[in-house]
Amino acid sequence: MRKTLTLLVASTALTAAIGLPAWSAIDAPDDGSLRPVAAPFQERTQALPLILASDDDDDDNRGSMQSSRRGHDDDDDDDNDCDDDDDECRGGAPNPAPAGAVAPPRNGLFGNGAPPQVQVN
Amino acid sequence: MRTLLATVALTAALTLPGLAMARPVTLTTTMNNYGGDGAYLALYVTDASGAYVGSLWMAGGKSRYYEHLTAWYRATGGDTAQVNGITGASVGAGRTLEITLDLADALLDAGYTLHIDAAVEDMRDSPGEVAVPLTTGGAGTPLAGRRYVASFAYDM
Repeated sequence: MRKTLTLLVASTALTAAIGLPAWSAIDAPDDGSLRPVAAPFQERTQALPLILASDDDDDDNRGSMQSSRRGHDDDDDDDNDCDDDDDECRGGAPNPAPAGAVAPPRNGLFGNGAPPQVQVN
Repeated sequence: MRTLLATVALTAALTLPGLAMARPVTLTTTMNNYGGDGAYLALYVTDASGAYVGSLWMAGGKSRYYEHLTAWYRATGGDTAQVNGITGASVGAGRTLEITLDLADALLDAGYTLHIDAAVEDMRDSPGEVAVPLTTGGAGTPLAGRRYVASFAYDM
């Protein structure tokens, strides 16, 4: 009987020591489920106005991203200095933190909470 | 000795299932030679009902362009906190973006869909550039995008 109890206590302690850090490393929303963290994907009650950045007459260009910056390096996109025209420098959402600067968002998608590893070839 | 072995076996039986709740997944996105600047890409997941769950990666660091990733922007309201810590540079034409992350097992074979929205400077926005269900059977199968993405695949 004593041996059985000892066995049970030891295995429980080891399980807790090994399993709890692994379970806690899995990021999950506070309610423990993979429910959406934002408004539903289909519709929002406060729809954002569609801002057409392009004033081209090209029928094939319904919406496009425009910038007064031309010829910038494809991979050099982390410059926070606002060197565009004044209209481009309106206050808005801050730029997000780059990978590695902060932990990934706790959205339940990342199993171990570590940031993704990225490579561009 | 027998007691020790029994303890280890019991611990393993209780612990291992908990450890196997996520796995490394590589997302590979190859861009077309579309003849433009670096593309902004938003990779995110929706659930079986189409509701936004969360973002996996944002290629492109300037939030003022995020409104051109229209489906992602509509779902998140442009909340940059959704991509804090998972943002990198935009991806040039003809380049390949490889993202390796630990993906929660609960996303596989459960009706979740991975989406990619794309936008390129002075070119047409492309919401829903890629939409692929996350299934174990779908791993390794390349899928062509609508406009800027030549192929997308996820491998486990």
